[in-house]
Formats: sequence, C-alpha cells, structure tokens
Amino acid sequence: MTSLIGYYTTKFGELWDKSLFDLAEEAIDGVLKATNLENKQIDAVFFGNMLAGVLGNNLHSTSKLAEILKINVPIFRTEAACASGGTAFNLAKTYLDSNSNKNVLVIGAEKMTDYSPEEVITALSAAASGEEQEAGLTFSGLYAMMANFYLEKYHYTEKNLAYVSVKNHYHGSLNDKAQFRRKITVEDVLKSAYVSYPLKVLDSSPISDGASAVVLTNNHDMIKKQKYSTAVLASEVITDTISLKSRKQIDEILATKIAADSAFKNAKISRKQINVVELHDCFSIAEILAMEDLGFWKKGQGGAKIKELSTMYGNGGNLIVNTSGGLKAAGHPVGATGVKQIGEIFLQLTKQAEKRQVKNAKYGLAQNVGGSGGTAVVTILAA
Amino acid sequence: MIGIVSYGFYVPKYRIKTDEIATVWGKNPEDVKKSLLIEEKAVAGIDEDSLTMAFESSSSALSDVQIDKNKIKVVLFGSETHPYAVNPASTILAEFLGIEKNYLAYDTEFACKAATGAIISAQALIKSGYSDYALITGSDKGMGKTHDVLEYTAASGSVSLLLGKDDLILEILDFESFSSDTPDFWRREGIRYPSHGGRFTGKPSYFYHIEESSKSLFKKTGLKPEDFAYGVFHMPNGKFPVQVAKSLGFSFLQIKDSLTVNYLGNSYTASALMGLMAVLEKAKAGDLIFLCSYGSGAGSDSFVLRVTKNLTKRKKEFIKVIKNKKYIDYPTYLKFMEMI
Amino acid sequence: MISPVKIWRRQKEIRKILGKKGKVLLWTKIFTPGIDFKKYAPYPVVLVELENKERVYGQLVDYDNEDLKIGSKVFSILRKVRASSEDGVIAYGVKFKPL
Repeated sequence: MTSLIGYYTTKFGELWDKSLFDLAEEAIDGVLKATNLENKQIDAVFFGNMLAGVLGNNLHSTSKLAEILKINVPIFRTEAACASGGTAFNLAKTYLDSNSNKNVLVIGAEKMTDYSPEEVITALSAAASGEEQEAGLTFSGLYAMMANFYLEKYHYTEKNLAYVSVKNHYHGSLNDKAQFRRKITVEDVLKSAYVSYPLKVLDSSPISDGASAVVLTNNHDMIKKQKYSTAVLASEVITDTISLKSRKQIDEILATKIAADSAFKNAKISRKQINVVELHDCFSIAEILAMEDLGFWKKGQGGAKIKELSTMYGNGGNLIVNTSGGLKAAGHPVGATGVKQIGEIFLQLTKQAEKRQVKNAKYGLAQNVGGSGGTAVVTILAA
Repeated sequence: MIGIVSYGFYVPKYRIKTDEIATVWGKNPEDVKKSLLIEEKAVAGIDEDSLTMAFESSSSALSDVQIDKNKIKVVLFGSETHPYAVNPASTILAEFLGIEKNYLAYDTEFACKAATGAIISAQALIKSGYSDYALITGSDKGMGKTHDVLEYTAASGSVSLLLGKDDLILEILDFESFSSDTPDFWRREGIRYPSHGGRFTGKPSYFYHIEESSKSLFKKTGLKPEDFAYGVFHMPNGKFPVQVAKSLGFSFLQIKDSLTVNYLGNSYTASALMGLMAVLEKAKAGDLIFLCSYGSGAGSDSFVLRVTKNLTKRKKEFIKVIKNKKYIDYPTYLKFMEMI
Repeated sequence: MISPVKIWRRQKEIRKILGKKGKVLLWTKIFTPGIDFKKYAPYPVVLVELENKERVYGQLVDYDNEDLKIGSKVFSILRKVRASSEDGVIAYGVKFKPL
C-alpha cells in the first residue's frame, strides 16, 4: 500500500522573484522538511511540467533536478498538458507498485509570468491539435465551444456558469497560498470581459507561477514514523482524442468518466463516500462537466445544481469541491496543479486545512485534466 | 477561333463610402464625388489578398464547364499586388484549383493591364496548339496612400477568364497593343504604396495610350465605334472612361453599363475586366464588345470581342451579387488594408 | 517563421476541403488570441460538419451575429489563416462563410 506522507506548495501567483527551478527547489525543500527526510532518502523523482521547453527553452529538467537534489537516482518528467502533475503522481504510484520499500518525490512546477500573455496563450494551445491551432482556437476557445454546446443543449445561460467562480473565489479567500484572495459575486463574473464567448475573464483560470510537491512511500516503517499519512487507494490515467471534434460526445469528458469508474472500482468505495474533491476547473464549464463526468451529478443537471452552492464550504453539504480555490482562485501553474490538487486532499484528510477544514473528511478525490479532455487523471485518497 | 469559354468574378463583401473617407480628411464629400464619380469602393477583408480573390473568381469560372483540368496548360496571374515579390501566385492558384502539374505558369505585371496582356499571350499559346485552354486571372487588393486621391479609387476585386477554342461564349476577333515608357504611376521595390504624377496620369498617359491603341485596332479591323453594342474601358475613376469613350466616338449609352467604378472603385488589373462582367450580364448573341485596358508605365490592350449564342448558358448574375455588401468605417478600412 | 515545408504539406490537405458546404456543430468567438492571430481578433471559430460527414475547424468570416449558432449553414473558402512573419511563407487555409 502506497501512502502520501507529506505535502508542500509554494504560493501560486505572479512570483517575479523566482525562476522555475527556484520554485521547484522551494517545494522540494518544503516537503522534505515536512516529512523529515533527507535528499539521499529519495529513491526516485517524478516531475510534471508542460511549458519549460516551449517557453523557456529548458528541457532535460530531470537532470536539472538531479543537480538541485545532488543525488543520482531515476528521475522522470511527464507532460500531458495541464495533466502533467497528475500523470507524474500516477507514474510515481506505479513505480511504487513495482518497487518495494521506496520513497518517491513528486513535483509539479510551472513558470508562466516571464512571458507575454500572447506567448503563453500560444504555448498553451500546444495542448490542442494542429488543426485546432491553425483555426485560431485557443485553449479557452475549445472550452468555450463546449460551453456554448452545453448551455444550449441543457437550456442554461452564462449566469449558471458564474456560480462556479463565486464558490471557488470564496474558497480562495480561505487559502493563504491562493493567487486570488478576494470574494466575487455573480454580477462581477457577468460583467467581466469576454475571453472566448461565452467564457469571460472571471470564468477562466489565470496565468500563474508555482510549484507543489508530495512524498509517496510504500515503506511501512517510514509510514509509521510519519506524523501524517493518507493511503493512496487508486490512481488512474485515461486518454482520449486530442481533437475536440473527434470525441464521441461534446458535453462530457469521456476520459474523466472512464478514469473515475476505474478508480472507484480499484478503491472499492462508492461515490457517496467521497467528502472532498479537487477537480479541474480550468474554466467554469469544466467544473460543471467534471461533477457530471465523475458521477456526482447527473449529466445535464450541473448548470442547475451549481446554483444551489451545495459544494461550497460552510453550506452544510456533504461533498465540498475545490477547497483550495480550484484552478480559478488558487491559480493554475499548469504542471503544478495536478500535484496541488492531491496535496489539498491530503491536507483535508489529515486535518491540516485550517480555515477551510471540512469536518470528518475520510475519503477524497482529485481530478486533473489535460487539454480539452485528451487526458484525465483520477486519484482517490483515504485518511 | 480563340476566345473566352467561361468567366468568373469576385468582389469582396465590404464597401467604404467616399463620404466616409472625405469626412475624415475634412473634405467636402460632394466635391470629391463630383470630381471622381465614385460613390463607394470594394474593400477586401484583412485575411484576403490577390490570391484568395483569384481563387474565388477562378473557381467560379471553372464551375460551369465540364472540362478535364489537365487540359489547362497555361495559368497566368496578373496583379499589381502580388502576394510575393518573388514566388508565383499562379502555381499556388493552380494547385488549389486542382490543375495538375504539366502546365505553364507565370505571374504578370504591367500595372492595371497585367491580365489583358496575358490574354494576348495566352491566346497565342492556344492557337499554336500548346494548350487547349488557358486560365487568366486579374486580381488586386488595390492600395493607396491615405489623404491621396487613390484612397477613394483603389479597390479590391478579381476576374478570371478561361480561354479556349471550342464552345466559346466570346470570340476574340482581333486585338492590338500599344506601349511606351511613360512613368505616370509606379511603385518601387520595397515601397508600400504606389506614387503617381497627378495630372500627368491624364492626357499623356491614360488618354494617349487608350486612344492610340483603340485607333490602331479600328484601323486594323475596319470597325468603327457605332459597330459596337458596348465599349468597356479601364476605369481609374468615374470620369476618364466616359471622356475617352466620347473622344473616340462612343456614345454614353454604349458604355454606361460597364462603369463598375462608380460603385466598386478601381480594382486595378480587374478594373476593365469587371466592366466586362457587368456588360456580359446584359449582352446578347451577335453583340460586338470593344474592350480596352490601360496599364500605367504605360500601355493599352484593345480587343474586339463578339458574343456567341453560348453566352446564355453561361451568363452570370452581376448586379444582384454585387448588392450583397456591408459598409465599413474608416478605421475598419485601415485595419483591413493592414495600414494600422 | 512558420516552416515552409509544413505549409506545403498542409496545403495539399486544404485543397480537398475547399468549396464544400456544411453546418456548424460548435462555435465560439475568440477575444484573446495567440500571437499569429492577434490581427484578426475578435474572430469567431466554428467546427463544421461537411456534407460528407468530415469535421473541419475554421474561422467564420463575412458574417452577421445571427450566423453564430449551432446549425448555421456555411461554405468553405480560401483565406489567409495566420499572420506569418514579414519574411515568411504565407499560410493560406480554410475559413467558412455563411451560405
């Protein structure tokens, strides 16, 4: 059995003073300190990052991390667009399934604010197919197409989407590592400028810097020595077509559905038992689709259900979603997000979530998506 | 007999009114319209260029004939706003049209008569047996400096002609060409906008060359203006073609249908040919059409064309199509022309 | 500069989908584009299903706002699709016009 024994995240935001590897180093130092481990106790490292090659001309990051850690061990980098962090975690768990008594470090990191918004938008569109890029579609454009389709099919309006951001911003105000700490209203969202119709600035996750790291181990003595630990019940990675146009259905992310079914089967628990979820709200529509695709809400109901705000902290609901602030309010340094999501669940299950602590959180789920749904990672942890 | 088998034209959707431009520069719109006789002109979108417009007009020309495209062994692209300074647009056009590779292609340049000069060369290639068909395109996204008279006249458009020897809608009965070295309008390499010699573009340039070319052809053929149902002349503005037609002996009635410049502006290599498009909508079998282009620098190609019975089966609507338009304002015009 | 080889390879595919009718399956309007599309912004992008069931993405041009809806009938045309550098090869491609 693999356990997650420690987590550290940098603040997410516009971190001008720190380079990509400054951030990675901060996360590494933080998590090793939290778990009382020394560098040389790490047996392997998994690194999730999307844009360092495209934007910074930095590849071979694995060797760079070896330089930082001053160790000679296997280090792997994974890239699956915004699911880079989640897939790094998945590979780490898979590594531990085949290697006993090892401690593994998982880091997700991204540096985006060194570049102009157009450069970043162009780089992010690398997660889309060549044809989508040539048509001038941006990442937000693809989700906007899905949003238009969903809103028309199920008879909702932009107003329904706004509740996602309102909830996540409230959560962000409770998380001192979040990029955005201010609460917003539905009117604020509706008044914000369009990014890709119908998605507006306040429907969209920001451009952020940040790094998050966790330590996983399957060494029972190590787990016993640790103050905090959560069992990793399941981690599934499922892929689907890169092109939105080739998907079977537009109003769902099939990869999420399959990964979730598989994860719940392997974890041997039911959806009703999940208390906290961190899901991939790169845009407000994505949270609604995720709640349906993960099986918490029926397909098409999401637009109505979100208005109830039952998944908002403090409303008495039994499933709270995105207490970190989600991608919207916590920020979305692409490669770091997948790891941060799992880390947030860890904090909830180990009662370290402070002002946003969900009472009696026993089981948690993290969902990380790449591109417009080409990759989905679903992870389930138990306290 | 060599002639035109089919034709196609393309005018972009957008128009800018003379009123709109004049107001920006503090000129009295009525004065400008009176002097140029142009109400509005056609403007290509920001993502259009001479090649994309040529594709539209050529596709139209090829759409109503069933021919083996492999028999089109001549593709000539005439423009003064070629997409490249060096790289043939004629092959890009041919490739998109599906014309396969055993063909002669080149791009031509002679200001506004680049395409009509190509007609003369192409008909010789058909006559000599090299090719059964030739595709000629005149296509321009005409540019003019701001606060210059060209700003009111320089427009966008494209006309394509498929030349052949069978199943003609228009016979090319005869032609003449008149050339000289007259620098009335030019553009240097690397310079964005053309320059012109003001009033020098009139009598010694436009009028001299058109008159000489036309008189030459009248002499050669023994024909006189009254023998023609229509006269079509190059249209740098709304006044010159009317004046030159009169001086040659044509009546206003003979040329009035051809004056596309009044509502479309001057699409350079497609200018005279666009006038021909308007006339063909009305022409009848047996009509003689006098077509005379002008290219600055300078020269003039004149043609005697005769309409055959086949025109009725390949005639295209013009006036109705042109009416599908959308007006833009001055900043949008500058954006579309990539001047800002 | 966009690779001329990539443009050349792409143009062979573009030829096959020019001049075809279709209907809009998905649409959006982009206000914050990437570098090569800045000068066209804001612009709508549509996913069109052609009569032969093939699905093609492209910008929608020469449109009115009423055309921006699922089900609109459109036609594929040739336009410049992205701003090449001043010295690069011009990228021509498919866009759509309302029928």
